[in-house]
Amino acid sequence: MALVPAVAGAAPGPAHPSASAAPAARELAVAIDGMRFVPAALAVRPGDRVTWINKDLVPHTVTARDGRFDSKAIAAGASFTWTASGKGHVDYACLYHPTMVATLTLP
Amino acid sequence: MKALQLATAALAVAFAPALALAAAPNDAQIAAIVLTANQVDIEAGDYAQAHASADDVKAFARQMVTDHTAVNKSATDLAGKLHLTPEDNPSAQSLKKGGDDNVAHLKTLSGAAFDRAYVDHEVAYHEAVLKALDSTLIPSAGNADLKALMVKVRPAFVAHLDHAKMLQARLDK
Repeated sequence: MALVPAVAGAAPGPAHPSASAAPAARELAVAIDGMRFVPAALAVRPGDRVTWINKDLVPHTVTARDGRFDSKAIAAGASFTWTASGKGHVDYACLYHPTMVATLTLP
Repeated sequence: MKALQLATAALAVAFAPALALAAAPNDAQIAAIVLTANQVDIEAGDYAQAHASADDVKAFARQMVTDHTAVNKSATDLAGKLHLTPEDNPSAQSLKKGGDDNVAHLKTLSGAAFDRAYVDHEVAYHEAVLKALDSTLIPSAGNADLKALMVKVRPAFVAHLDHAKMLQARLDK
């Protein structure tokens, strides 16, 4: 079992069995702009934090069809973050504006 | 279909003064037209959310109130920032009259007929507003921020129109 090399300033942590395997979780952004999700399709990995930023003047939601996330109302200028989990395609939409649809894809 | 044609014709007349003016509306008049256009849809939505029959029509009406209220807040905030006093004008007055006539007509209806009339009017109304934005209001705006605001809200009106057309198709079945 390999020990993680100590990083300056970090407290020593538990030994990790596969220190090089899991890629770091990413901070990803989706803009809600002009009544669209930009980008409309985004590949994400479990653990990634996906933040939707409402750049419109009207409120929106991001609501997964399979129910795995629901922001409720995101006011103009506000944002909502979901930590990605599960797998496969996640179709989502704005509940207020049915033409606004997009997808996240997990491995 | 006839009601829709009448509604569209009436709305064309409401916006006709703005389109037919030899001189384009000034920014103060544009502000009044934009605020009135939003207010008209808020009032129709307020009435429809309480009196519509189908749940999805009520939800659409609620959304019209939410969205047009948000747009009017942005427009009012910008007018304040620009020290722009909205100036009443025949186009804005025509819109207000058209809106009042629409609500008066809706008050005579109920059930599926109400839903049909409300949705048909929303389709015609959003089409007319988009046409006015594109042909007159956006091109005529002198102030860059006022023009940018109208460009920024335009997609919301397109989304409203698409949503209203979806409801119209469902009610057609």
